[in-house]
Amino acid sequence: MGELLVVVALRWADGRARVDPLTGEVETDPRGAGAGEADRCALEHGLRIAGAAGGRCVAVTVAPPQAEEMLRDALACGADAVLRVDVPEWDPRLADSGSGTAQALAQAVRAEFGEPGLVLTGDHSADRGTGSTPAFLAARFGYAQALGLVELAYADGALTAVRRLDRGRRERLAVPLPAVCSVEPAGVRLRRAGLPATLAARTADVPTVPGAVAGEPVTVHAARPYRPRAKELPPPPEPDPRLRLLRLTGAHEQRDPPRVVVTDDPGEAADELLGYLKAKGYLA
Amino acid sequence: MRDRAGPAGAAVTVAEPERPAFDAIVVGAGPAGSAAALELARAGRSVALIERGPFPGSKNVYGGVVYGRVLDELIPGWYERMPVQRWITRRQTMLLSGERSMTVDFRCQSWGRAPYNGATAYRAEFDNWLTEHAQKEGALLVPSTVVTAVLRTAEGRVVGVRTDRPDGDLTARVVIACDGVNSFVAKQAGLYPEGQAEHTTLGVKETLALPKETIDERFGVSGDDGVDIEILGGTQGVPGGAFLYTNRDTLSVGLVLGLPGLAGQGRRPEEILAELKRHPSIAPLVRGAELVEYSAHLIPEGGYHSMPRLVGDGLLVAGDAAAMCLAAGIWLEGVNFALGSGMYAGRAAARALAAGDLRRLRDYRSLLESSFVLADHKKLRKAPGLVLSERVQHRYPGLVCDLVEGVFTVDNPKPKPGIRRLLRRSARSNGVRMRELARDALTGLRSFG
Repeated sequence: MGELLVVVALRWADGRARVDPLTGEVETDPRGAGAGEADRCALEHGLRIAGAAGGRCVAVTVAPPQAEEMLRDALACGADAVLRVDVPEWDPRLADSGSGTAQALAQAVRAEFGEPGLVLTGDHSADRGTGSTPAFLAARFGYAQALGLVELAYADGALTAVRRLDRGRRERLAVPLPAVCSVEPAGVRLRRAGLPATLAARTADVPTVPGAVAGEPVTVHAARPYRPRAKELPPPPEPDPRLRLLRLTGAHEQRDPPRVVVTDDPGEAADELLGYLKAKGYLA
Repeated sequence: MRDRAGPAGAAVTVAEPERPAFDAIVVGAGPAGSAAALELARAGRSVALIERGPFPGSKNVYGGVVYGRVLDELIPGWYERMPVQRWITRRQTMLLSGERSMTVDFRCQSWGRAPYNGATAYRAEFDNWLTEHAQKEGALLVPSTVVTAVLRTAEGRVVGVRTDRPDGDLTARVVIACDGVNSFVAKQAGLYPEGQAEHTTLGVKETLALPKETIDERFGVSGDDGVDIEILGGTQGVPGGAFLYTNRDTLSVGLVLGLPGLAGQGRRPEEILAELKRHPSIAPLVRGAELVEYSAHLIPEGGYHSMPRLVGDGLLVAGDAAAMCLAAGIWLEGVNFALGSGMYAGRAAARALAAGDLRRLRDYRSLLESSFVLADHKKLRKAPGLVLSERVQHRYPGLVCDLVEGVFTVDNPKPKPGIRRLLRRSARSNGVRMRELARDALTGLRSFG
């Protein structure tokens, strides 16, 4: 296996976009835009993994020229190279499913750097937040995917990860390479760039390649505060407050114990899931 | 050795750098810093402009008027490109006393045409715009970087700064401190006198959103025209003042409160601001507005006598760091003094570097004295004391409102009282002696005349 190429895909977004209280229009400020916390964690993971593997870490984005500041920060933190996929007539209100962004990224990365060994992203971007781009990236590259990770480590050529499960449980994964991984904004914090590297990055050229992302503009027709519909919930009949609390939390309810199913066959895994859903009454 | 920022931090002693990394380091990318960096870069000097925020203006709290005349020299034709909210064409000075108010209202439509007079602006936009000019000339902006200490030689000459980044020491032949009020750089260099708190005020500001048409209607303006209202007497007894400015579709309403007075009263500034917004003269202007921002910042309002030494060995101080804010009652100006002092600091540094003689940094002071920057401050040196005095703050607004109320109250069948009698009565009821009034009038005349 050759040198490990770690690509970190960063989403450039205004994390402090505000909604005009009078018109409902979303107002963004490119000066305050940058990588979200999850993307910054992804970059830190990328730098660490590339360092451990003796490989290269490159940071890429699909964004307008203002995003070059974000890529310069990545350079200052230690990225070996950066690349901006330029989108003509960038409109932050364009709604993209993540497919278009993934296509533009995959195309540019392959053309500029070749096939990556690992692609990292944040789990959700700060603006759209659907978390779908990493899955589309995995499909574009044809790689395995492990999404929404809270830990990621590379040792002896193997990538291991931890993912959050319901009820506080954790799932440990052995991720086969090449892979696309997305990480939660947790566990690590992007390193503080040193001053010499920061000064050097300030004047560094940011390579740019043309790209295109198809999308539909989002129009806000009306804006109002989110108010979930009230749901009538009669109090439990127990006279003892403690028992009422236990009933409400469901702490003493009988549950099926968790069952671990290990299979390499996707068909078997699908049958297992469908059988479970049928047994629970979710499927006829 | 202490690495943290703040007044407790200490300068770091280093060896004389053989080859300084830059000709000049400017600390702070506000109006003063960007003006200094622009002048230095234009002179062909390498200059690093260090900014603690992610972009210039991001850390700023401002709700005032930018008087751009000094920009004629720095950026000719500035008014065609500067990011402006509204051009001020209407200026009011308002005295509040109880539920009463007395307003002097001046309108000048020519201020809304080139070459203009002053404008409201969002500093996040204004500062960024100014820094871009410096960057285009070659200045290197280093954002998200905090200067934690001054680097000095054993002889005391400033040769650089230490930042909060790893390997964060940066050397230069000249350092210009434009790091704002309570300048840590100037303090570490030993340029600041003690007792700054009494010369410092706390500015608090709310940004309130209203449709542009509503602002136009309420304030009697149209297009890009705007209003500047300076208020005396709306601070619930705390020495200071209040203000209300129109932006395109927001209002900036706030207070400037003397620190000792505020601490002495034990009141929260937001409570005082809420009282101001409830005043019958202010409430109709802000009614129905949506609060979009609340912010607070210190302001150096002590004027000429509270300024630090402006020139140190290898160091110049400009802008709010040099207490260049002019708070002289009818004149409340800061950005223009920051621009001017920054420009002259950059110019003096460039000349000293060109001559290879850092003793010529002393020319900075003479440049300031021969310009409006120190000339105005020197002339108005007694004004801050007068404006923040107990009589002007507490008694005179009541005196004026009593007098005007007496003049315009029709009290038939009694005959109209004479103005002199009303004045004496108003002075007596507000605890003002005619001798004090005459003395303050004379001081005001000497200061403002």
